[in-house]
Amino acid sequence: MKNLKKLFNPKGLIGSTLVILVVLIAIFAPLIIPPEYATRMDMRARLSPPDFSHWLGTDQLGRDLFYRMMLGARTSINIATSAVLMSLIIGLPLGLMSGYFGGRVDNVLMRLVDTLLSFPALLLALTISAVLGPSMQNTIIAIGIAFTPYLARLIRGEALRVSQMPYVEAAISSGATHLRLIIGHVLPNIMPVIIVQSTISLAFAILAEAGLSFLGLGTQPPEASWGLMIQASRDYLDRAPWTALVPGTAVALTVLGLNMFGDVLRDVLDPRSD
Amino acid sequence: MAYIIHRLFSMAITLFLISIITFTVTNILPGDVAMMIMGTQSNPEALANLRENLGLNDPLVYQYSKWIIGMLTGDWGNSLLFKMPIGPILLQKMTASGLIVLLSMIIALALAVPLGVWSAVYKNKWQDTVSSSASIVGVSLPDFFWGIMLILLFARALGWLPSSGFVDPGEDFLLALKHAFLPSLALGLGLMAHLTRMTRATMTGILSQEFIRVARAKGLAERVVVWQYGLANAVGPVMTVAGLQMGYLFGSIIVMESLFNYTGMGWLTYQALLNRDIPLIQATVFVIAAVVMLINLIVDLLYPFFDPRIKLK
Repeated sequence: MKNLKKLFNPKGLIGSTLVILVVLIAIFAPLIIPPEYATRMDMRARLSPPDFSHWLGTDQLGRDLFYRMMLGARTSINIATSAVLMSLIIGLPLGLMSGYFGGRVDNVLMRLVDTLLSFPALLLALTISAVLGPSMQNTIIAIGIAFTPYLARLIRGEALRVSQMPYVEAAISSGATHLRLIIGHVLPNIMPVIIVQSTISLAFAILAEAGLSFLGLGTQPPEASWGLMIQASRDYLDRAPWTALVPGTAVALTVLGLNMFGDVLRDVLDPRSD
Repeated sequence: MAYIIHRLFSMAITLFLISIITFTVTNILPGDVAMMIMGTQSNPEALANLRENLGLNDPLVYQYSKWIIGMLTGDWGNSLLFKMPIGPILLQKMTASGLIVLLSMIIALALAVPLGVWSAVYKNKWQDTVSSSASIVGVSLPDFFWGIMLILLFARALGWLPSSGFVDPGEDFLLALKHAFLPSLALGLGLMAHLTRMTRATMTGILSQEFIRVARAKGLAERVVVWQYGLANAVGPVMTVAGLQMGYLFGSIIVMESLFNYTGMGWLTYQALLNRDIPLIQATVFVIAAVVMLINLIVDLLYPFFDPRIKLK
């Protein structure tokens, strides 16, 4: 594993540090910070710039932006992880079957997937969220469904490639069952691609959640969400640009970390991509 | 020719599937169209009558065929929100968004191609690090964040450009461009990041090939080798990726047009979704998916012009 060293190049270090930091905040912030800190309204300090009492300033209701940003991390990470997990749960079996068995199943499934890919992911997610009624749970479903065709397509291609490898043929000739082949030979060999793609999908899911909430069709108030914070800041840009900068930077750093980490993971796990 | 016919045939099937998906998704909407027209205070009998008249009690398959036949014959129904026929609204909004899509694509390509090539030429040197870092940061920033930053900089601080609104290019082209510029720039910057990464990867592959070494060996200027010999081979793949990014672009215009109050297709879709204007949702979603698919088809068909080695079959 000489590739493992790449995890410790500057890009890998920055990426993994950012990801670990955000995950730690998502886990521990709600345990440490009393929830009323993020909802307490300080009417005398509305839209106040960053100072000692409010490190990152306050929003239009005088709520502390630092605490809201910290608590928003859990919302983002929760939604993104659940959505990506959901698209994996649907997309993985579909992609595996399509790629491994080929033939008519593959034709029908991939025609459907290609059609779904004509719908912009954000449009699909917005429509589903509007259909189901916006809420945190429905945001997860909307993003999860919107991402499924991308994962299914990728996994299908990989499964197709791997199932033509000599070691799979060898296993077939030694009489292995389909189930054993898929779980024992195909799946482990496409795992690196799945891990890398999931990391990058997480980054996109965080962006999608922010976009949905920004449009009012994602997470709903009073939940602390970065997208909602940016939406609220729109009317106060002139007087209080920090209300947009704080949540915007939080989204950007999280997504940046995931993207960098994903890039480095690809170098480490996928020897073909040199 | 046979290829084109084959593609058109498969396009028809895809359009059919797109229409089915659109119809299915929108028909599980919990909103009741009759209730939306008459308001929540209306009397139940009148509601039931209207439902009957609108055909809402008919079987879904029948409703679907009525809808699709209407779409095919140019009768796109009426928007509940705007109380107007959908066809003309869509046409006007499509032109408005066309301007933004085109402008942002031009901005993205004009920035991404030179940056990507530069990155590939100086692979693993500081120039590459700068350009690669810039593009990974670009990919990571949400589009609406770009939008807000641009509003703060160009509209509020500098006062050069309007921060919201739409002007019909037919009336005052320059003013229309001014209104379209900031949303396009915000979209273009996000798009640029993706395209730069792609251009870099493609060019890196091309520059390590034999014919480039031959071109250098016979003493051609490096400029000619890279920009003529190298780039000519990258045009095809870059165009394909640009085409694939159309889906992303049409998703992003929903956010961007709402942010800039630019009344195009994305703004219309958002209004339709917010107000549960079901006929309008069906029409906008269907049209956007169809346009994305068509653009990709056109890119595929144009491929042989960018790369004469490729024969369509």
